[in-house]
Amino acid sequence: MIRIKDLVKSFQGAKGEVRALRGVSFEVSKGQLFTLLGPSGCGKTTTLRCIAGLEQPLEGEISVNDRTVFSASNGTFVPPEQRRIGMVFQSYAIWPHMTVFQNVAYPLASDLSRRELASRVEQILERLSLGGLADRLAPNLSGGQQQRVALARALVAQPEVLLLDEPLSNLDAKLREQMRFELKALHESLNITTVYVTHDQEEALALSDQIGLMHEGALLEVGAPTELYLRPAHRITADFLGTSNFVPVKVKSSGMQAWDEILVESPLGVFVARRSVEWREGLPASLFFRPEYVDFFDRNNPSNNGTNTGTGVVERVTFLGNSADVVIRCGEIALRVRAHPTRTPAVGKQVRFSVAPESCIVFPGS
Amino acid sequence: MIVSRNGLVSRTRVLTAPFNLKAAIAGRSLAFGLTLLIVSYLVIVPLITLLYASFKSTEDKLPFETTATTLANYALVFSSPATLPLLLNTLLFTLGSLAIGLPLAIIFAWLLERTAVPGRTWIASLVLVPMTIPSLLSAIAWIQLLDPRIGLVNVALRGLLGLSGETGPLDIYSLGGMCFVQGLRLVPSAYLMIAASFRAMDPSLEEQSAMAGRNVAQTTLKVTLPIVRPALLAALIYYVIVVIESFDIPGLLGFTARIRVLSTAIYWATHSEVGLPDYGLASALGTIVLVLALFLMWIYHKLTAHQERFATITGKGYRPRQINLGKWKLPALLFCLIYVFIAVLLPFVMLLWTSMQPFYAPPSMDSFARATFDGYLNIWRDSNVVRAVWNTTVLAVVTAVVTIALSVLVSWFVVRRRRESGALAGYLATVSFLPQGVPSIVIGLALIFVYVRFPIPIYGTLWIIALAMTTRYLAFSSRTTTSALIQVHGELEEASQIAGASWLRTLRKITVPLLAPAMINVFFWVAVHAMQELSMALMLYNPSTVVVSTMIWSMWQNGRTADAAVLGVMLTLLSALLLLGGQFLSYLRRNSYR
Repeated sequence: MIRIKDLVKSFQGAKGEVRALRGVSFEVSKGQLFTLLGPSGCGKTTTLRCIAGLEQPLEGEISVNDRTVFSASNGTFVPPEQRRIGMVFQSYAIWPHMTVFQNVAYPLASDLSRRELASRVEQILERLSLGGLADRLAPNLSGGQQQRVALARALVAQPEVLLLDEPLSNLDAKLREQMRFELKALHESLNITTVYVTHDQEEALALSDQIGLMHEGALLEVGAPTELYLRPAHRITADFLGTSNFVPVKVKSSGMQAWDEILVESPLGVFVARRSVEWREGLPASLFFRPEYVDFFDRNNPSNNGTNTGTGVVERVTFLGNSADVVIRCGEIALRVRAHPTRTPAVGKQVRFSVAPESCIVFPGS
Repeated sequence: MIVSRNGLVSRTRVLTAPFNLKAAIAGRSLAFGLTLLIVSYLVIVPLITLLYASFKSTEDKLPFETTATTLANYALVFSSPATLPLLLNTLLFTLGSLAIGLPLAIIFAWLLERTAVPGRTWIASLVLVPMTIPSLLSAIAWIQLLDPRIGLVNVALRGLLGLSGETGPLDIYSLGGMCFVQGLRLVPSAYLMIAASFRAMDPSLEEQSAMAGRNVAQTTLKVTLPIVRPALLAALIYYVIVVIESFDIPGLLGFTARIRVLSTAIYWATHSEVGLPDYGLASALGTIVLVLALFLMWIYHKLTAHQERFATITGKGYRPRQINLGKWKLPALLFCLIYVFIAVLLPFVMLLWTSMQPFYAPPSMDSFARATFDGYLNIWRDSNVVRAVWNTTVLAVVTAVVTIALSVLVSWFVVRRRRESGALAGYLATVSFLPQGVPSIVIGLALIFVYVRFPIPIYGTLWIIALAMTTRYLAFSSRTTTSALIQVHGELEEASQIAGASWLRTLRKITVPLLAPAMINVFFWVAVHAMQELSMALMLYNPSTVVVSTMIWSMWQNGRTADAAVLGVMLTLLSALLLLGGQFLSYLRRNSYR
């Protein structure tokens, strides 16, 4: 397992000091795949490099399997070569002057017998479907193969922890999707504690046991993919994961507990929603719901009790293949709705729609 | 033994050695400290010593034997009636050489890079050939061609024009002659530098002008030249420094012509034909040249700092549109061929001819019959030649190995430690590049001062020459390895660290193999320059540490023309072989994984 406490790191930038990490803390339990997700420059790669030992934080503590590898308070810093970590870099960093075999054999201890070394390398190459490529020079490999070689090299010495820095970002879309499934299968079979860095929300949602969303050097919130997607605690999380609709509202009345129901008044009408934190009435707020949870009324589905509904005019319909993206204009507000690709209302038509209360969240601030 | 779910047998070796942070960090920090110390010592100590010496009165003593601090040396320089002509000669020599060399280089860069002149690749290679001839030898060759009395061209011209008299019409022993030889000397490397800036230019900028309806001449004047102007200005400044530093050609031609420039004046101040060496005067002159050259270097650095940043990003191999010369095709080709004949073929053939004539005679049926290669065998009977060749070999190998090793370390710290220790890395980058602006003769002079009194007993050994050359070539060498290292992605080294390798192992197994193509090139470049270098060797050698270049110099001074030519031809061929071999090895190495 990995335990990270109050990590602080700053860089000397062109315009003075830049705070890259502002007190990041989290834990990854044994065998979990933990994803650090966020836009570029949010500090996710810096956090990963601190775990690897490639960066030295200013403050905080890092321990891997109960061994403290970094502690600012008592001056511990274990250099990367002694951390027993496997890492896949964004550029793969396959050594171009070595064969695939030499690349993969590199992390193995030099006191292994030649035969043992060969069998270890062959095993891992076989496991990653690289058998037969052992004598190939690295630059003669395809992108996907290079990626596998990088993985094989990271795993061959059976590290305690695997770190992956945007490993799929250099692959084309089709290959990326395929590798995503392979990575998932590999992680499930090896059960190795993994920290995964990406800016791609789909990747994060598909692969992770836990996602940590980073924003401007801080870890905003941590949760399982469904939790983070369906019930984000912060507006930033909601905004970053998937597509969102935000409607400015005023709070009418609210319960006491987090995730209690709350009544808000919006330009669309009165909505019942959940709220992320506790607050007082009358404050400005934003109502959030995802495009895929908006239902259209039609003759087959007329029932509604009046709340959580709105009316608008269809402004634009974009066909996306497996779905359609519909923009509905309600006065000043344009809402995005995910609709069935062939059952979309015509442009210019007036429509009524509803959003279930459990799919609506209210965040503080407008 | 643990068997995991996928069947991989887990036998992870547990590191038994106790974790030792201090040792891990210390190795790299120690190397950083040592590199800083060695580079500072090589570059800063001689310069400070020179400055110190220039303020010490000497009166035929060495500067450290007196204690009085004085401005007498500078007063002497500035009050002497010889100073004004000296400065004037240096100025005229510099301007004259540049006026001949740079236009030729620009014309070739333009013709060979941007136009479809026939036989481009052949001409481009031939233009570079003179780089392999040591400048001392090109001076000798041109003397054989343009000596007012026996010079082949003069003899031929006298016959052709029906001139009477024993001398003329051309005289190599003149300021004009010096400028001519030095100017031709600049063409190959200036061509390379300027061609690179033509190549770096985005061709779409020219195409845009064509789209706007401008013809080739208008485009060249309005677009091409303004864009390459900063690069041309930088080249101009760079070659001002090169000419000021130049010693071989003004040394040989100016000796007979009695024309002195700053660099040769320093030499003659310490190797006076009549009196005792005047180290005070030499150090004052040396300081003046040093300040001048460093100032120019600073300007050059300012001009190119911007340019280089782009050079690393745009490594694209696009081929600019080639201008069709039309009816100018043949004149252009003719121009190239005439140049190749005069500047490349003629001097080398003359040198070869001289080496085959035991007693020099201009080419004729008679002397042709007497031509012999015996000189190439007989020369080995001279034990001094054998010693010189051995010394040169040792010198070239040691200098190249030490320089390249130091350069790799310098580059690594400059590139990879920039973020952690920016100030020190910046200092290292600056100091290692400083020798580019320190004339060789000044390094030679400064090292005399340092080591005559210094506890390290290397004065009078080969090692002091190696030290001087390492200092001088560190600039070029470290610059080349630095730009090569910038191309090596940092993650390649980090991957090795993550895999458990120490800093030293990473350097050995990853960094050095990836830098190998650049290192091979630099190795041969330094070795060839060390073999050919004259001024530092001349300042620092003694009879037991004679090298080939000083040997040729003294053979020439003693009238052993044929022997000098024999050694010169061999040195030229060996240089060519090594440079080509280096290119080839580097090419092989690069292609083995690209």
